[in-house]
Amino acid sequence: MVTTFSKVVRAIASLTLVAALALHSTAADAQTKSQEGRDKGVYIPTIWVDPDGCEHWVMDDGAEGYMTPHTTRQGIPVCRRGNVCGVMNSDQFFATNSYRIHKSGKARLAEFFQTTDAVSYIITGHTDSRASDAYNMRLSYNRANAVAAVAVANGASIADVRGYGERQPTAANSSASGMAKNRRVEIICIR
Amino acid sequence: MIKTKIIIATAFAFGLTACGDLEGGGIGSDKSTDGGIDKKHLSQLQAGIWVDPNGCDHWIIDDGVEGYLSARLDKYGKPVCSGVAPPNHTVGDFKAGSNIPDPN
Repeated sequence: MVTTFSKVVRAIASLTLVAALALHSTAADAQTKSQEGRDKGVYIPTIWVDPDGCEHWVMDDGAEGYMTPHTTRQGIPVCRRGNVCGVMNSDQFFATNSYRIHKSGKARLAEFFQTTDAVSYIITGHTDSRASDAYNMRLSYNRANAVAAVAVANGASIADVRGYGERQPTAANSSASGMAKNRRVEIICIR
Repeated sequence: MIKTKIIIATAFAFGLTACGDLEGGGIGSDKSTDGGIDKKHLSQLQAGIWVDPNGCDHWIIDDGVEGYLSARLDKYGKPVCSGVAPPNHTVGDFKAGSNIPDPN
């Protein structure tokens, strides 16, 4: 409830800011030669979607082209689909507080990396919100590294390995099933 | 030879500006279309990969007279450094979207 409220407040604040900026730009046109054209220096972009499915702002100014990633104000790319190609439920691969992968888990992972045809992989570890943030950052990183080691042993190439601890939940930590969903290792396939 | 190509490219560039003028593409504030010889909505651009000197990927598009470059990011907003090619190399047919040649 509180978060919904703060989201609404934030949305209103950013809209107000956008409106204020819009007013400012009309009031201040022709500040330089660059605003003296027929477009008055107002550049309205469109969206180009990259092969990963993520959006970019793009503009053609007649003889120049411009492009930049479409991200949220938090710096997260806006994408129409993701390239997460595997989500490992940690409970099936690791004992509680351990980053050693079971033998059967290793076999499953080996098969995954041998049959998935990607240029490289980004491995990210995640936990639920129990225990300290620092502990979870370490555990999730160790688990991601354990997965990356299996990938490398099976000929895959690794672009990056990260531990996000409890900071990137996909579900609320208020229920057992939510926490189980958050305990995971994500594999991103770069094609 | 190179000189001829430069002249051709320049001619195309002027041609495009002229077409743009007639069609209004790229002249007003709406920058969403290429109004030149190779006219299209910009959602149709065809990209390849350019690997920067640090080894990270960018989408590169040569659309005739316009060039575009934009970072390839993962879902967390971090650069994707896939190792698809060595630094400074390109991958994919990023010039396929236009027939306007480069003086290169």
